[in-house]
This record gives sequence, structure tokens and C-alpha cells, in this order.
Amino acid sequence: MNDQIRMQISAFVDGELPDAEADLLLRRMSQDAELRRKAAEYLEIGRAMRGEASARGIERLQERIAAGISDEPLANEDVPAEESAGRSMRPLVGVAVAASVALIAIFGLQLSPGVDSTNGIDNETAVAESTEDPAGYTVPQPVDDQLIQMRRIHGASTAEQGANGMNARLVNLRFSEEPPAEEDPEEEAADEAADESATLP
Amino acid sequence: MRYPRLGTSLWPALIAAQLGCSASALAERIDPNDWLNRMGAAVQMTSYEGTVIRIQDGKAEALKVVHTVTDGVIREKVVAQEGDGLEIIRIGNEVHCILPDRKSVLVEEWDDQSTLFSTLPSSQVRFGSEYDVSLVREDRVAGRQTVLVAIRPHDSYRFGHRIWLDTETAFPLQTQLIGEDGTAIEQVKFADISLNKEIHASALAPSVNTENFLWLNQPSQHVKQEIETRWESTDLPPGFRAVATHGETMPGSEEIVTHILYSDGLANISVFVARQDQPTAEGPSRVGGSNSYSASIDGHRITAVGEVPAITVEQIAKAMSLR
Repeated sequence: MNDQIRMQISAFVDGELPDAEADLLLRRMSQDAELRRKAAEYLEIGRAMRGEASARGIERLQERIAAGISDEPLANEDVPAEESAGRSMRPLVGVAVAASVALIAIFGLQLSPGVDSTNGIDNETAVAESTEDPAGYTVPQPVDDQLIQMRRIHGASTAEQGANGMNARLVNLRFSEEPPAEEDPEEEAADEAADESATLP
Repeated sequence: MRYPRLGTSLWPALIAAQLGCSASALAERIDPNDWLNRMGAAVQMTSYEGTVIRIQDGKAEALKVVHTVTDGVIREKVVAQEGDGLEIIRIGNEVHCILPDRKSVLVEEWDDQSTLFSTLPSSQVRFGSEYDVSLVREDRVAGRQTVLVAIRPHDSYRFGHRIWLDTETAFPLQTQLIGEDGTAIEQVKFADISLNKEIHASALAPSVNTENFLWLNQPSQHVKQEIETRWESTDLPPGFRAVATHGETMPGSEEIVTHILYSDGLANISVFVARQDQPTAEGPSRVGGSNSYSASIDGHRITAVGEVPAITVEQIAKAMSLR
């Protein structure tokens, strides 16, 4: 791989490559695992580590590139990049119990930057329904609080069976977005927390 | 009863790579299950420090991680590199979740094992004939030589896994949960890592001054007890069996919900049976590789949840009945 290709990939990841060149590069990447690895490396590490703003449409390409990382045939090869994703949905919750319950009960949690909330579904009013995205995928939606709790308990149970604890907590802490719980056993602590959270950004 | 088969065309690249492999680790023809056993030990024993990239639903998140085990005591720290700067610090069973933007620290007890890998089979896992395990090829991850272990399901009722194990230590440097179309649904990989280096105590200290933070000690509000139940799924996919049954008291509720855990040795599915006092939402839901399906049966709400394809939770949920 020469420097020119590297620069092309870098520009592509930054969203600065002209469309015609981007299309050509995409076609080359579909045939060249090394190019896909390099693009994925720039995407994953560069963007995540340096906190760069994502280029328009680049997240949608990530699935195609992720397929390349694993040396699998690209799914939906004929689907234009702009249409090939849209599979991402509003993350629901993680799986462990204690941390998120407390955090939600006392503070509530903000959406993390990684949460796709663009579908505008209100968790409290969401019903079981499917959304047809532009790529034609049926994307089931999160349902209700009871399901959220069940997902947590499931995660805790599987953590007991295996070794998923830290990841379960992380997923939970990063993606919880429930409304506050009804009550807290430590009334005094709750009051303090309410006072404290009222003064926090 | 439906037993969909996985298309033979879904793993061609892996097969081709397998045929073409010539690297040293593969040449030794070590049993792939031995690699998984070594991995189980490595996850428990290895000290490491590095940067992890987690990818789910096309979203990436970077985390700095430090992990060490001394005299059987797990010490670790995870710091989010983006957003609110969440830190999780674990010393033994005591865990501090630090939320800098909330100026708060949540203290809780964890009694399970701790890793960042969402889909890692534990050393205790003994899955049966529903999967093939093979060494695929050698590769490089985080600048280190690895061997790729593929766990391939025989049908469409479960996901596949790819695990890149450090050739020297068998530590997992990258894991992927693989969907039916061969793409990675979830992925965790180290961008850089130092293995078995001495971890200084300062590396495990909070990155922020928590002196004036609000500290909260939160006990678990989730209570469970072992029970017997007459509920069962009459159409379990091959290989799945009930491995635990509990009565669960859900947070914020006094109602006891029946929780049956099904497993094929690798994939786990929870089925919850709750009395249904009023109509509730039914149908599918998904987060990353976790699917769920809710149905109403005999005045109960049945919900199946698991890291399996949507068809699996739907089939199990719809087939629940009283013996």
C-alpha cells in the first residue's frame, strides 16, 4: 500500500474525498482486505481515540468495513453506502442491575454520545412496533420498563454463568436512559441526591 | 418444529483462509478447545493495560483499561475516553462507579468475574454439537501475533463467534459476535495493550479528585430464589435446555416473576413469565446482538431475551405453556 492510497483512505474517513473517488475507493476496498483493514483502523481508532467528529455517512460504511475486517463477503454489496446501514437503533439498556437502578433512581442518566436517539421514540410511550428503515431492514423498537428490567436480570444471570461482568456494567452505564424510578430506600440520600443533581449541569 | 440450517456459503472466507494457513501456531495443530481453555485461564490470570475499542450497532467507544490480579484479588480500572468520562474502579468485590460530570461515586458489590468481553465463552463452557470450533488463521491485533478461533453454529438459532487469541498468552485481543450474514454484530478489540507488565498502584487510582463528590452505597434491589415451575417451552431449538429456574422480584415491584434460563452451553436465553393484569406490548426488540420477544399466553406476559437471533427468542416465547 503506497502513501497515495493511505492519503485517499484518510481523506475518505474524514469525509473529504470527492464522491467519484470515494466510489472508486469503495470498490477497491471491496476487493482488497488490506485497504479495508486500513480504513477500519482509521475509522475505529482515529475517530474513537481523538474524538473526531464523524464524517457524514461514515458510520453507515462502518458495517461494510467491519465485514471486511472479518474477511467475510460484504453483505449487501450492491446496496449503496448511504443505504446499507440505518440498522443502528436506539440502544435500550445493558444488563446488570444494581448500578443502573441506583443511577437512574437518583440521578437519571444522560444519553451517551454513542446513543442514537434520532428515531425520536419516547421510551415511556414506545410500543412494540417495527420501523422500516431506508435499507429495507425491519428494526424492532424497545418496548417498556419491564423489558428493560428483564434485560438487566438476564445479563446478570449470564454473568454468573460466564465472565461478562465488566462489559455488562459498561453497557448498562453507557446506554441506560430510563425515567427515574419511583422510590429510593434511603430517603435522606435521595433528598441529598436530588439537591445535588439540581445543581449539576 | 423449524430447524433452519445455516447456508453453506456463509463461511467461505474462513474456509479459504483455513485451507491456506501455514503459520506456526496452526502448523502445530493444537486443538482449538485447548486454546479456549488457555484463554479462560489467561482472562483470569493476566495483568494488562491498554485501550479497548467497543463497537456495537456501528457505534465505537474507546476505553482505557487496567487490570491485574494479586493474591486472587481483582483490581481494575476502566475509563471512558469520550463523553462524560465515566470511570469504574474495582478492588476485589468493591466497585466504585465515578461519574465526573455528576460529581458522584456509586459504590456497589460485584461478586462475579469481570471482563470487558461481552461474548466471551468462559472456561467452564462446554458446548456440544451445535457448534464447530476451529483455528482459522494467524493475524495481528494490537501489534501482537494472534490466532483466530472461529466458533460456528450449525444452524440459524445462534450466533457465531470469532476470537483472536494472543499466540503467546492466549489472551483474547479481539472478539466478534457474528450474525447469520457473516457480519460482526458486536466487536471488542484492543487498539494497544501491555500484557503481564507490573501495574503500579497509581494506575488504579481515580483520574479525578472525588473528595467533594457525593458517595452513594447502593445495595441490589433485585431478589431471586430458586423455585420449581410448570412453565416450559415445547419447541426449544436443538441443544438448548433449562439450566436454572428462579423466582425474581423485579426492582420497583413486589410481584415475583418466573425466570427460566435456557442455554446451549454458549448462548443463553432468559424466559420471564409474569402475570398480566393489563394489556402490554408484544413483539420483537433488539439491542446489538441481544434480541427479545414478548407474547401473551394464558393471561401471562412471556418475554424471551438472549444473545441469539430474533427467530430463536420468538420461537421459544411463543411455545411456552403450562405442563
